[in-house]
Amino acid sequence: MKPILLQGHERSITQIKYNREGDLLFSVAKDTVANAWYSVNGERLGTYNGHTGAVWCVDCDWDTKNVLTGSADNSCRLWDCETGKQLALLNTSSAVRTCGFDFSGNIIMFSTDKQMGYQCYLNFFDLRDPQQIEDNNPYLSVPCNESKITSAVWGPLGEFVIAGHENGEISQFSAKSGEALKKVKEHTKQINDIQSSVDLTMVITASKDNSAKLFDSTSLENIKTFRTERPVNSAAISPIKDHVVMGGGQEAMDVTTTSTRIGKFEARFFHAAYEEEFGRVKGHFGPINCVAFHPDGKSYSSGGEDGYVRIHYFDPQYFDFELEA
Amino acid sequence: MRNTVDMVDDPEYEEEEEPSFSDPEDFVDDVEDEELLEDILREKPQETDGIDSVVVVDNVPQVGPERLEKLKNVIHKIFSKFGKITTEFYPEADGTTKGYIFLEYSSPNQALEAVKNADGYKLDKQHTFRVNLFTDFDKYMNISDEWDPPAKQPFKDFGNMRHWIEDPDCRDQYSVIYEAGERTAIFANDAKEPILAEERARWTETYVRWSPKGTYLATFHQRGIALWGGEKFKQIQRFSHQGVSLIDFSPCERYVVTFSPLMDTKEDPQAIIIWDILTGQKKRGFHCESSAHWPIFKWSHDGKFFARMTQDTLSIYETPSMGLLDKKSLKINGIKDFSWSPGDNIIAFWVPEDKDIPARVTLMQMPSRQEIRVRNLFNVVDCKLHWQRNGDYLCVKVDRTPKGTQGVVTNFEIFRMREKQVPVDVVEMKESIIAFAWEPNGSKFAVLHGESPRINASFYHVKNNGKIELIKMFDKQQANSIFWSPQGQFMVLAGLRSMNGALAFVDTSDCTMMNIAEHYMASDVEWDPTGRYVVTSVSWWSHKVDNAYWVWTFQGRLLQKNNKDRFCQLLWRPRPPTLLSADQIKMIKKDLKKYSKTFEQKDRLSQSKASKELVDKRRTMLEDYRRYREEALKNYQEQKSMRLELRGGVDTDELDSNVDDWEEETIEFFCDEKIIALDDL
Repeated sequence: MKPILLQGHERSITQIKYNREGDLLFSVAKDTVANAWYSVNGERLGTYNGHTGAVWCVDCDWDTKNVLTGSADNSCRLWDCETGKQLALLNTSSAVRTCGFDFSGNIIMFSTDKQMGYQCYLNFFDLRDPQQIEDNNPYLSVPCNESKITSAVWGPLGEFVIAGHENGEISQFSAKSGEALKKVKEHTKQINDIQSSVDLTMVITASKDNSAKLFDSTSLENIKTFRTERPVNSAAISPIKDHVVMGGGQEAMDVTTTSTRIGKFEARFFHAAYEEEFGRVKGHFGPINCVAFHPDGKSYSSGGEDGYVRIHYFDPQYFDFELEA
Repeated sequence: MRNTVDMVDDPEYEEEEEPSFSDPEDFVDDVEDEELLEDILREKPQETDGIDSVVVVDNVPQVGPERLEKLKNVIHKIFSKFGKITTEFYPEADGTTKGYIFLEYSSPNQALEAVKNADGYKLDKQHTFRVNLFTDFDKYMNISDEWDPPAKQPFKDFGNMRHWIEDPDCRDQYSVIYEAGERTAIFANDAKEPILAEERARWTETYVRWSPKGTYLATFHQRGIALWGGEKFKQIQRFSHQGVSLIDFSPCERYVVTFSPLMDTKEDPQAIIIWDILTGQKKRGFHCESSAHWPIFKWSHDGKFFARMTQDTLSIYETPSMGLLDKKSLKINGIKDFSWSPGDNIIAFWVPEDKDIPARVTLMQMPSRQEIRVRNLFNVVDCKLHWQRNGDYLCVKVDRTPKGTQGVVTNFEIFRMREKQVPVDVVEMKESIIAFAWEPNGSKFAVLHGESPRINASFYHVKNNGKIELIKMFDKQQANSIFWSPQGQFMVLAGLRSMNGALAFVDTSDCTMMNIAEHYMASDVEWDPTGRYVVTSVSWWSHKVDNAYWVWTFQGRLLQKNNKDRFCQLLWRPRPPTLLSADQIKMIKKDLKKYSKTFEQKDRLSQSKASKELVDKRRTMLEDYRRYREEALKNYQEQKSMRLELRGGVDTDELDSNVDDWEEETIEFFCDEKIIALDDL
């Protein structure tokens, strides 16, 4: 498959996300820039300008009306997707690491880092109440005393948030009460990314302990485990097949000591039921920081440490491929 | 000037109390004399000192007074070699000397030297000196009449020490050290995947070594080494040698040599110790200046002799007495290096040029010390000795600067050991040599020569007709090491470490490249003892990432990639030499077709079993997964109404649930890029 190369960032990509219908791909990076692209041909729709620090996270609501970004400049910003206008600026006391719209698009959550004496908090704002935005007063702010939150996604119906922690724990926080509903420790090292399946019934976690795990969203039961020999930075679940894709790399300082021949950093495809790897896609010049499936499952994208986003449309063989069973 | 005689005390000097220098009242001296004065006390004269320096010489000619002076001169000449004789006593009876004398030296060491060297000295046909320490007489006379027989040691049954050879599938074992040394495991090598035989945490503190026939596994510890073996790897023996860092086994597995840089005192040499493996006894200790070229002691192929080289000297010892062969070392001025033939008890050594005498390589038969062959070499810079594994050939790599030139050229002097009078053939090499290796059981050798990036691999055949033929040369190779299969014919050319793990698998019967592959950053290549498998590995000791060992067939087909957290070292377990006679081997080769049929059937069966297992496993996994998904889907559908509510009645469950919302758009696709310089317009 010949990939479409998106060159819009000058520093490493931190997160990429498709909107619900998949026609737009959002990418954010350490260069303070947030881009929106047409996923079909790679043409850039526009940029959301305003952040003054590395942008860590991005999300789009179900109707592709609003875009949410979180940054190391201690702010979480809401934008109008079509015009690029900044609609709201929520200041925080430390960097915003992860953010997201709930199923309805009315409630936003974001987590702040444990930095400079400030705790890690999980904040919830209701967008239907403009007062909350104006006063920068979340209706719920949950402190996270133990291991800080490194990644989080909403549960199926906006009732809870599933968070991954620095120590490898996964937990559920109620969006109404802030109570920690469940906690499991399956990974041994930091959770780098959590992504949901398209129907939100499952989540896949990518961890520094060289594995990715599939969990049931409601029970947090560990369904499957996918093992590699490198830390996994990101993982995504295919919407149409029993496949997962994983991207990873190693600590930045180790990069030069491994096989750095051109384009050797690979995205790996595993069969979700057999937990076996069946394919790899090369192309990135550095570790892959984020992967995402297009909602129709016919393509996927990856963003790397090299600052490039690559969109890959699958060949027909991919859809016919079956492991002997 | 004042009169000094009558000076009075300076009145201005006030009498101050002098500080008391004596210990406080209740002070208890707790420092032992031994600690403070250790070195001085060592030299404290002992009561027996005088006696320790006395030797008794027997079988001295009995002479009358007229020849006494002459006798004394002769004795003096012989015995002053070992030290200063301070007293001598020639007892007499009936007008002649009694036939034995007493000599006192100025130190006990000198007396020891006299005993060591003069005992057995043949003065003439009728008189062979017997020299003993005076104290020995006392010792042997005072042996108690009561003899306590040594206590009977309980028999320790270690089981079948060759158990691993009896594996019905002929799997070879190998040791793996990983987790940076924390874990050591023994695996049996199977083409599909390694089978774990034993695994222990902290089995060794640094690394492990197998004995030459594979019977023992040696592990290193602060206090010494331990040997393990048998089916369950029980501890067979333990040798205490504080700070041991290097070991070596005798080829027959009877002895093990340990080296520790810590333990060496003048009186009791402990740097190198030779142990008897079966009894656990310390046989002999030696001094050692440096461990630069371990093993310091080189063993003959049958374990009968071991030798070491020191300044201008070659000392050869024999087993089991551990004494010097013929009671004296060989004096070889300028000796630079030596090695034993792996097939016979022949030592090869070389000495560099000395004034008018050219450099030369000598082959000496042991124990007769007969020089079988001497080869003179001219303008020599350096020599290296390479024996073929069966001792059939010796290659001496000679670096020389020919007269009148500045550069260094290399010759290979090939000694044909099996031919009468050991003829020598010379192969001249134009380029600098990177590596050289003999085919283990054949008559070919491989050379890597040249300078990076133009490195060439050449293969030579030493033919019976006196010629050495260049079979083939491969140029522009990425290789810095040669690894022959232990069975010969096949080999791997590897570019280790800095050459990023380039691998070339060669069949030397027709010098073809069977496969070219790569194991990025490989640091080691190890053939299994049968020559069927090759393991390439990336050791954590040389590279901190991607530590793993890969298993290949001898043809270069990759079978397995085994990642191990902080993998350090893999060592194949050696096999003992075959018990089959040459005839039996011939018979088996003849009937090979018959045997291979049954083996192939077995292989096919296990293959299909494996794939059947895999298929079954996958089916179960898929069924479980599908079941889970069905449940989840059921719940999902039950929640549909809630979803509709949250999104204001818009059905978003499928991507095409809302066709009304779709718009038509024309999209441009990037096709081509043309760069036109503005000047050209």
